[in-house]
Amino acid sequence: MNIRGLVALITGGASGLGAGAARALAAAGVRCALLDRNLELAREVAAEIDGLALACDVVDTAAIEAALATVIAEWGAPRIVLNAAGIDVAIRTAGSKGAHPLEAFERVIGVNLTGTFNVARLTAQAMIGEAPLNTDGERGVIINIASVVAEDGPVGQVAYAASKAGVQGMTLPMARDLAPFGIRVVTVAPGMFETPLASGIPQEWIDAIIPTVPFPQRWGKPREFGALVRQICENPMLNGEMIRIDGAIRMGIARS
Amino acid sequence: MEIRGQTAIVTGGASGLGAATVRRLAALGARVAVLDINENLAAQIAEEVDGIAVPVDVASDLSVASALETVRSRLGVARVVVNAAGTGIGRKIASSKGPHPLESFRRVVDINLTGTFDVCRLAANEMLSLDPVTDDGERGVFVNVASIFGFDGPVGNTAYAASKAGVIGMTLPMARDLAPYGIRVVTICPGVFDTPLARAETGDAGFQRILELVPFPHRAGKPDEFAQLACHIVENSMLNGEVIRLDAAMRMGLMI
Repeated sequence: MNIRGLVALITGGASGLGAGAARALAAAGVRCALLDRNLELAREVAAEIDGLALACDVVDTAAIEAALATVIAEWGAPRIVLNAAGIDVAIRTAGSKGAHPLEAFERVIGVNLTGTFNVARLTAQAMIGEAPLNTDGERGVIINIASVVAEDGPVGQVAYAASKAGVQGMTLPMARDLAPFGIRVVTVAPGMFETPLASGIPQEWIDAIIPTVPFPQRWGKPREFGALVRQICENPMLNGEMIRIDGAIRMGIARS
Repeated sequence: MEIRGQTAIVTGGASGLGAATVRRLAALGARVAVLDINENLAAQIAEEVDGIAVPVDVASDLSVASALETVRSRLGVARVVVNAAGTGIGRKIASSKGPHPLESFRRVVDINLTGTFDVCRLAANEMLSLDPVTDDGERGVFVNVASIFGFDGPVGNTAYAASKAGVIGMTLPMARDLAPYGIRVVTICPGVFDTPLARAETGDAGFQRILELVPFPHRAGKPDEFAQLACHIVENSMLNGEVIRLDAAMRMGLMI
């Protein structure tokens, strides 16, 4: 779809992949609403791209509804939704440090999986009420972020992997649910990207991981993620698919 | 990698997905070699984009070697190679018509799988001698065309599915083989696209019947939509070793 002038709602839009995508979309003429727990940071990015910053924690349904209502009141319904809000913990299932705290598992699932679902269902409902944008009958696109961790399952990532595999698993049924309304759903599975989330990874793990990226052997840049997001928005045949963007990395058991 | 100024090879470039890719690569500033078994059509497309037409039968190793030699002498070594040459045959492995002829199975595998491999191995070997074009050390990129048939396995398609699953399976090891040289390999799995091959395979009635199964957009893909993704892959260096379905969320069930 032609994205110039459309409204995008981006969770986790204040930093990392969310901010990278916001910059790429804004450069293509999209008005971006940045939802983030960190309102101050969201405002900085919003100021840079003439966007809208809104405080929102994706575990809070009322907060999502309020933010969506504000976006609709300001600019109209979003036609592009990017679920980039996410958190990570690095804890093993069991071991010398004891059993993985259930609460930490539930917190990761709550943000990454249920939060993504919650934003998707509410924004999809808003899109359904809108007129189609083109002769295909397209109303919008929802882009979710999973991770290569969902498929590769590195050690210490049981909660994160479960949450991201959940996002991967939602992609096709959600695309099928929303196809009659002309709404596409595509998931991106990034590999190692230079983001604040990744800055929580212990340095010795990073030193071990980057040499395992075949090519290019470096961190992915948020703008490369943003370029793919733009392609997904613009290419109507991309639907119901998860795309790995990872420099061909497959995580073996070396990360420990 | 930036497309402008590069030499690109598109096999099967005279029609369908290949021709659309030729046009888009040329529009983005590449010098394009149109390799096809149909010399007349190749010449027409080449003239249209100010490229060169080179006859090739990808099932013949001598023909592939000679075509690459022609490209190198006229346009220089290609850094972008799109393997879009392909053929199909609709036949059950056994039925009242008797067993699937072995010869036609071999023919499909020779063109779709071995032909793709042959072009990749020889073109990659030439690329190794080039200087890198980016700070990452990137030398080139292969975009191979598989098919959702390689995953979904519709009835009457053992040869085609086997050949395309082979292309899917080559993607990761080829990307890993070539990563030290800064050469990427990405595969696209198109769904139903409006191409001469698709229409010849299914007939007009069959083509319409298949389209009923496409969730959204509820139509055949346009070859230029394929070309759009192919060019994005060339430009986005973090995409490597991945197989991307481009199919409007289509999954083929038992009914075809």
